[in-house]
Amino acid sequence: MVLGAVPAEYYLVLSAAVFCVGIFGILTRENALIFLMSVELMLNAANINLIAFAFYWGNLTGQVFGLFVMALAAAEVAIGIGIILVLYRNFDSVDVTEATTLKW
Amino acid sequence: MEHVSNWLLLAPAGAFVVSAMLLFVIDSFDPESKHDTLLAAVTTAGAAVAMVISAALLLSGTADSGVELFGGQLVVDGMSLVFTFIFGSVTALVGLASADYIEDLPHKAEYYLLILLAATGMSLMASANSLAVVFVALELASLPSYALVAYLKTNRGSVEAALKYFLVGALSSSILAYGISLIYAATGSLLLPDVAAAAGEASELYTGVFGIGILMVLGGFAFKTASVPFHFWAPEAYEGAPAPVSAFLSSASKAAGFVVAFRVFVVAFPIDSVAGSVDWVLAFQVLAVLTMTLGNFAAATQENVKRMLAYSSIGHAGYVLIALAALTGLGDQGLVLGSGMLHLLVYGFMNTGAFLFVALAEYWNVGRTFRDYNGLGKEAPVACVAMTVFMFSLAGLPVGGGFLSKYFLIVGSVGAGVWWLGAVLAVNSALSLFYYSRVVKAMWIDEPDEPREIERYPTALYVAIVAAAVVTVALLPGILVFDSAAFDAAAALL
Repeated sequence: MVLGAVPAEYYLVLSAAVFCVGIFGILTRENALIFLMSVELMLNAANINLIAFAFYWGNLTGQVFGLFVMALAAAEVAIGIGIILVLYRNFDSVDVTEATTLKW
Repeated sequence: MEHVSNWLLLAPAGAFVVSAMLLFVIDSFDPESKHDTLLAAVTTAGAAVAMVISAALLLSGTADSGVELFGGQLVVDGMSLVFTFIFGSVTALVGLASADYIEDLPHKAEYYLLILLAATGMSLMASANSLAVVFVALELASLPSYALVAYLKTNRGSVEAALKYFLVGALSSSILAYGISLIYAATGSLLLPDVAAAAGEASELYTGVFGIGILMVLGGFAFKTASVPFHFWAPEAYEGAPAPVSAFLSSASKAAGFVVAFRVFVVAFPIDSVAGSVDWVLAFQVLAVLTMTLGNFAAATQENVKRMLAYSSIGHAGYVLIALAALTGLGDQGLVLGSGMLHLLVYGFMNTGAFLFVALAEYWNVGRTFRDYNGLGKEAPVACVAMTVFMFSLAGLPVGGGFLSKYFLIVGSVGAGVWWLGAVLAVNSALSLFYYSRVVKAMWIDEPDEPREIERYPTALYVAIVAAAVVTVALLPGILVFDSAAFDAAAALL
């Protein structure tokens, strides 16, 4: 089955590209806030797949799970911001490479 | 048809939720409570209720054949009950020990609440029968854990540990979510039995998408179980976190990761159908050997006891991975999977106990390295006897249940035709005896560098440690009571 004029594979390519942008951001940036944004990109790459293939398979499972993923992403950011806040209070910076009192 | 009595099967998870809600109520009526024993008591009681109900349901055989709830999203069977028993017992021990450990710290109600909510997430993980529930339950277990690690929020180590735990956790949960979306793309369903039904076709038609999806899901579980390649958060998180939280994470959270891995890989990705796209048994064999070896070698080079225990917990994750790595279809497969469950059961007591002993040492401020433990045996003989039991049982000597569960793992892997996994386990256990006995030597034989006085002996912490030690020893014969339940649960799953 085809999604209108756009074949399903294109959605996979799009989501893989978004996912890789996220991975790239995580690997190269040192700012914890950018890290959160990158994780958000990766989760939304998963959402693209879920929505596209919910159409492809003709069931709603993927769309509903997409909503769950969004809600969980929000919860994760809330916890993450909290941890970054205490990080800033203790280390005066949100650079993830600064916190090195323990061995890595 | 779903009967009312079927809902009672979720009572272990219910006990966690109800006690968490009760803490909410207590905290809103009496914030910054002076009754901190009440908070610890509610936590311990709720967890103990969950533990007792799981054991009762398991031994009565009510759920032997597996009962599906919520249209198949959740399933309660022997395996889920074995694991809710583990979560209940670990949470009870940790709740009890925390009463003394966080005595002088603020935000007690939140601390206990987060522990109970994480335990709720873990018990849902044990019952998850759909990839959607797996993801939601895993996040419910993870998010409170991040906050718990950061509980000592003016302590740099604790904050740094939480940051690293969170960074790796957020990364691996997005990898897991992407993996789930690929599996959905290839099979069109998230329910584990439906995924299994579509797996054969999916691995022929969409080999790459399906295979990458399975590997990404595997990566997500490797994080939760602290296995290679997502293990490197574990030493930091366990070292920086408050010791009772380290105990909770390294025992209960690891077991939760394994129960999900067991169910998802055995039920949703039957190896016969998916071997065309990815041979996950081979992947687990590689990971098991790497995880065991890395964990034990790194543990042997540590000077800090808590960090040594953290690496040893990675090593034990490797032992349990054998349960998945030996699912070759040969021999008694129920024995293989069941022995993994039994090892996690015993590990739940002995490892929790060992971390609680570290909590006790932190409570006394004796320091963190092996040297600092010198001569503790003279001052605190009871706790040190318990710690000796934990160490030798973790190493696999026949003083505690750890001996039998490792024995079952070896027998299972030999029976499944992968004897070399059993051999690697035996070699690693021999190595582990070296670093575990360093603790014992420090406590009983070496003299302290400078004399010290221990003024207070915290009752609740002592009770938790001694209870864990008694159960560890009792499991040496007692595992023979539980083993048929675990093997039957495993056989029912396969």
